Amino acid sequence: MDWKDEKWKITKEVFPSEIISIIGDIFAGIILTILILPFKSFLILILIVPALLSMRGNLSGPFIARTSRDIIIGEFNFKSWFENVLATYALSLVIGFLLGLFGILLNYFIVKVFIITTEILLLIPVYSILFTITITMPFSTALNIIVFRRGLDPNNVVNPIMTAVGDFFSVLCFYITIIMLGVP
Amino acid sequence: MEYFKKIFKESVLIVIISSIIGLFSGTFLSVNKQVLYSFPIILLILPALNSLIGDISTVLTSRLSSHLYLGNIPPKIQKTEFLKKDFFGLLITILLSLIALIIIGYAVGFATNIRIVNPLFIISIMLLTMLILFGIMFILLFAGSVILFRKGLDPNNFLIPITTSLLDFLTPLFMIVFIYLFT
Repeated sequence: MDWKDEKWKITKEVFPSEIISIIGDIFAGIILTILILPFKSFLILILIVPALLSMRGNLSGPFIARTSRDIIIGEFNFKSWFENVLATYALSLVIGFLLGLFGILLNYFIVKVFIITTEILLLIPVYSILFTITITMPFSTALNIIVFRRGLDPNNVVNPIMTAVGDFFSVLCFYITIIMLGVP
Repeated sequence: MEYFKKIFKESVLIVIISSIIGLFSGTFLSVNKQVLYSFPIILLILPALNSLIGDISTVLTSRLSSHLYLGNIPPKIQKTEFLKKDFFGLLITILLSLIALIIIGYAVGFATNIRIVNPLFIISIMLLTMLILFGIMFILLFAGSVILFRKGLDPNNFLIPITTSLLDFLTPLFMIVFIYLFT
């Protein structure tokens, strides 16, 4: 294949996914404002949300990339996928706990709004991340396989689509978590 | 469980570091909230803008990692045909996506009655920020992928988390710095 064709192939595969990602992110922003803004504890919650969205990308991004690579190089099997999933869960627990701790410290020293207990503040990011990746990991794996079988490069297609899907589910799972934990 | 151990060992530290960078991002936005209030459209577009440059960097890292594992590019810092294809392919993609983002963002802005201030200026700032960040990230990610691959490490585990968080911080930083510089 001529290099100019390959260059357009990248654009042709990434651009449509990117459009979905852009729309998803703008909608996630609007949904976030509508769902989270009315909470009394909004000032504390907004401390966690950007880091939570960023962490979702940091955990599922490499998960997707590892899956894509394993599929492309022909090393994808249940064992490698299971260990990939397990490692992502383990990392999620560590990061969720750390984000909770950071949230408590930032609230204590900067925001100073004490309407959520320390335990709940610690649990919000942990539950949120775990819920989100539980939904997105099987979804992204299926998408990786489908995209590869259709002859497209999963590296180009899956991550941008999953950014939109992941950001949407992050916001939704965050909302479900705070409702579940009875956050005011 | 070797694969599990490899992923966890290679990722944990970098994910912790990137979570700390994420906190800087939030703090920086809070400190400069007056700029965001002056140009409220930035607040609406910023998540999508962060996501766009983050996605392009993730695609690049992912592609470089696959190229290195498949032997399409040598583990050396040198220009190759594959690298040129990736550069121009992703540059065209980021420009087209940015146009789409601006159209969608401003359409949503109009629809939700967000105050639109000096749109040409903000669009120029966005374009400048994206192009500079793309250039910087391309060089850093290529060099980083080659170095990590040579050490027997998976570039995906290190570079994706760190660049996602770094870009979440650098995108608003560059935009706000340019707004201060040009106003």
